[in-house]
Amino acid sequence: MSIGNRIYAELRGDRVIWMIIAVLSVISILAVYSSTGTIAYRSQDGNTEFFLLKHTILIFGGLFLTYFCYSLHYKKYSTLAPYLILLCIPLLAYTIVFGNEINEARRWITIPIIDLSFQTSDFAKLALITYLARAISSKQEYIEDFNSAFLPIIIPIVIVCGLIAPSDLSSALLLFSTCFFMMFIGRVHWKFLLMLLMMGIVLFTFLITLGTFFPDYIRVDTWASRIMEFREGSDNIYQVAQAKIAFANGEWLGVGPGNSTQRNFLPSPYADYIFAVIWEEYGFIGGLTVISMYVMLMFRTASLVTKSPKAFGAMLAMGLTLIIVLQALINMAVTVNLLPVTGLTLPFVSMGGTSLLFTAIAFGMILSVSRYIEKVA
Amino acid sequence: MNIKNEVLVRVYTVLALVVVAAVLIFAQAINIAVIQGDEWRKVGEKSYVQMRSFDAERGNILADDGSLLATALPFFDIRFDLMAAGLTQEIFDANVDSLAHCLAVHVDQQYTPGGMKSELVRLRQEGKRYHLIARNVSYIKKEQISQFPIFRRGQNGGGFIAERLATRKRPYGSLASRTIGYTKKGDNKRGVKDTKVGLEGYFDKTLSGKQGKRLMQKVHGDQWIPVSELSEIEPTTGNDILTTINVNIQDIAHEALLRGLNVHNAEDGVAIVMEVETGEVKAISNLSRTENGWVENYNNAIGRAIEPGSTFKLAPMIALLEDDLIDLNDKVEISLGEKEFYDEVMKDASKESFNLDSTTMRRAFEISSNVGIAGQIFKHYRGQDRHGNIKAHRFLNHLKKMNLHSPTGIEIKGEAKPRIKNPDKNEDDWSGTTLPWMAIGYELLLTPMQLLAFYNAVANDGIYMKPHLVTEVQQFGETIKKIKPKVVRERIASLKTIKKAQELLLSVVENGTAHKLATSRYQFAGKTGTAQVNYNKFKDQKKDLKHRASFVGYFPAKQPKYSCIVVVSAPNNNSIYGGDVAGPIFREISDKIYSLEIDLHQALNERGKPRMKTKYLPTLNIGYKSDMETVLNFLELPHASETSTEMTATFAIEDTIRLKPRTIKDEKSVPNVVGMGLRDALYVLENKGLRVEIDGVGKVKRQSIKPGTRTRGQTIKLTLS
Repeated sequence: MSIGNRIYAELRGDRVIWMIIAVLSVISILAVYSSTGTIAYRSQDGNTEFFLLKHTILIFGGLFLTYFCYSLHYKKYSTLAPYLILLCIPLLAYTIVFGNEINEARRWITIPIIDLSFQTSDFAKLALITYLARAISSKQEYIEDFNSAFLPIIIPIVIVCGLIAPSDLSSALLLFSTCFFMMFIGRVHWKFLLMLLMMGIVLFTFLITLGTFFPDYIRVDTWASRIMEFREGSDNIYQVAQAKIAFANGEWLGVGPGNSTQRNFLPSPYADYIFAVIWEEYGFIGGLTVISMYVMLMFRTASLVTKSPKAFGAMLAMGLTLIIVLQALINMAVTVNLLPVTGLTLPFVSMGGTSLLFTAIAFGMILSVSRYIEKVA
Repeated sequence: MNIKNEVLVRVYTVLALVVVAAVLIFAQAINIAVIQGDEWRKVGEKSYVQMRSFDAERGNILADDGSLLATALPFFDIRFDLMAAGLTQEIFDANVDSLAHCLAVHVDQQYTPGGMKSELVRLRQEGKRYHLIARNVSYIKKEQISQFPIFRRGQNGGGFIAERLATRKRPYGSLASRTIGYTKKGDNKRGVKDTKVGLEGYFDKTLSGKQGKRLMQKVHGDQWIPVSELSEIEPTTGNDILTTINVNIQDIAHEALLRGLNVHNAEDGVAIVMEVETGEVKAISNLSRTENGWVENYNNAIGRAIEPGSTFKLAPMIALLEDDLIDLNDKVEISLGEKEFYDEVMKDASKESFNLDSTTMRRAFEISSNVGIAGQIFKHYRGQDRHGNIKAHRFLNHLKKMNLHSPTGIEIKGEAKPRIKNPDKNEDDWSGTTLPWMAIGYELLLTPMQLLAFYNAVANDGIYMKPHLVTEVQQFGETIKKIKPKVVRERIASLKTIKKAQELLLSVVENGTAHKLATSRYQFAGKTGTAQVNYNKFKDQKKDLKHRASFVGYFPAKQPKYSCIVVVSAPNNNSIYGGDVAGPIFREISDKIYSLEIDLHQALNERGKPRMKTKYLPTLNIGYKSDMETVLNFLELPHASETSTEMTATFAIEDTIRLKPRTIKDEKSVPNVVGMGLRDALYVLENKGLRVEIDGVGKVKRQSIKPGTRTRGQTIKLTLS
């Protein structure tokens, strides 16, 4: 039995999703290698292989996590969900006050002993989505009831998003919209959804008011300036202009692997602006490939939902897919200047330690669902 | 609608939204990349990047003891890229106050912190990418500024740009500055070539190392900023060169020359000191008068060939001796100091000549008789020999053997070539008077360095050493290349002739034109020279004749250590003669070097310890008693203490120094400190609560307040000498 066959036999579940993960990994390694030149010179004495190696190891670590989560039965996640949500709320609160400040925002905490820092919001995303999938699926029978269904669903969302928003509004909005879509798919009544939107707005207004009193904890100024810049015409914003130059340099066919010049000018070309670097080097083929991978992921998960619409698994997969795809779309939309500048990375492509690992876990959970739903079907 | 269908409708709605978003994104990407492509590519080109080379840190020029003659002191221009990638508006807004405060307090006091802030805000609005914060700041200051808010985020994060400048520092100021030299980048566009002067120029390649390369971005005009702090190709620091220049000797030569030039109100002057055995140039001083005082603006020692005049007479002497045409005691014709060669009359400068029909060859040289020496050369090398050969060639071949036709090849660009006429060459305009005038140092051109190298060879028993300035190339203190002394000619003449030449040079000092310069401390040998500079133009106006006085020689006369030449152009305070103008400068240089170098001294106790006579012993030296005793003990001089006071005065009686009491009264009155050294005088006076001002060096000669005056904390002025 050849290795290919063996892997094929081993990797059950949705093989298209496996393929998507593989393609994204390859693109990620190529793009990160090319775009880390500048920081490699700065921090590693020009040893660009350092980041290549680090990133590749991380990708493989991620793939291992994917495999691990895929091999667990997804029903286990359902049991874990309440505990995860209970764990994540104090963690988020802790982060707001004591988190490590990186780039003027407190989003990170360091796990003692193993000394690994991660963004608590990444963990909260998984926890909240899992919890929500469980709640929605278990309350399907009386989903249109306010007290018994809507409230238990909505309260964790408000708390978690409210805790993430002060330091990381874009992540909070992303998570909020994911939850919104999950509830939409989970047949929550439109009146409640409208109410949820209203609550979101109220919460946001409350945060802004609070932010004027605690500017250290809530980055109201940043939000305002980003939006102002975007409205006033963003071509004057340095990174927007540099990203556009990258697209223009790539034109149709790209300048070829490793030939990006804009990587020297784009801030974090290996993270927030990696899509621009991919387009500069690989042209529309590179851009189209990346976009279609996420769209395809959406399609595959949609088909899972159609197979067992009520199941926890389907809701879980949908939620996780939504957050990955939405984040990807927002990141690319920012890169092509359809949205104001945010700090969201391109999932599974951008370099960036732990968030990549959480995405890998999400992939593993989706695959686990696909694997067992397939079996059932 | 059943549940399944309802879910499906909702899923497809979301799916549709995603697809629409994806299509929008792709469309916008195509829009930017292709439809607006040209426009954005143009924007990109404006801020285009280039791999540009930049200079490495330049190596040092070291004196012979390793002290720094020229070094690269890092200086920086600090610039601020207000549009740096990582300098977001929020970071800028949050920190601009504290940055403005730091800048206004520590960098530019013209601004108030508030004023600086509005300036910074304005600059950011204008999108300035290369704003000058401070020029020529030191490394320490640069480090300080780099820690200011915003700046401490580095270049990409905070727009902090420190441009390293290749500032050259000469710790010894103008000392040998022309020889150390400089380099200046030319301007290719305007066709201005690079200027390379002195050792800096000659060893430019060694000193400048290898350029590095880094990615640089054009900001506007021709201004480039590095894309990141690190370079793609690291530069290689230049190597150091260890020169032969000795800082002490250089200082001595410089000061002596300066004093001489001032005394004689001259135009310019040269002084070179060379080590006889190796040809190492220990000092080279060039001073020219300008409106701003004396400066080293041209390396006349090397770059200007001049008619040497009488100092050249040694060469024809050697030729005559070498061909055995005359001996030192043979009589030569002086004819009352005047002789006609064809239609030109040659006159002697020495008054002694006016009474002499003839004298010995030795005496003729001692008094530098033109007629005596030129007459002999004319007599022996004029015309053709039996075989029809021009006899002058024989003379010229001797000069060639003395290496007088060749440049020294010293490591300075632009050495002037010697010019010695050749009867075979039409353009040389050889005439009947050429030969006799050559014999007295006219109708030929030599640089002071070339003439000195020749005298150095005579001092070195005929071995002509190449004059050189550099002995080693070093890299981070390790020798990577040694440049050994080079023998150019093994013998410029037979040893017998050389010994006679040495004898002649010594007797010039002992009995001849330089006898006033002789000293009993040590012997030195040399030759004076007084050349007329503009004799063609002013043949009939003797008054306006310009002169060039020179002295070249070596010391000590036996076992010479150093050779030295001094040339003074256009002295015009009455004395014009080499012996009066250049000679004393030479003496000052040789005296000071002699004092400096113990090796040159003969030990006093070579013949046993002498018995001290009263007149050699110090008397009436006043000072701190225990110091005095320490010194006397060290010198092993017999002494007897006859006092218990703190201060003492010496009285030499017979062969013993007696330490007599010198009392400083306890009363509140000014003590007498005349005769004391400054250290003791300060101690005594300040103990009385007086403030002391001093003038001069040496012992106290005068004090401004009379001894016995009541002290009230006055200021007392001491004159030392």
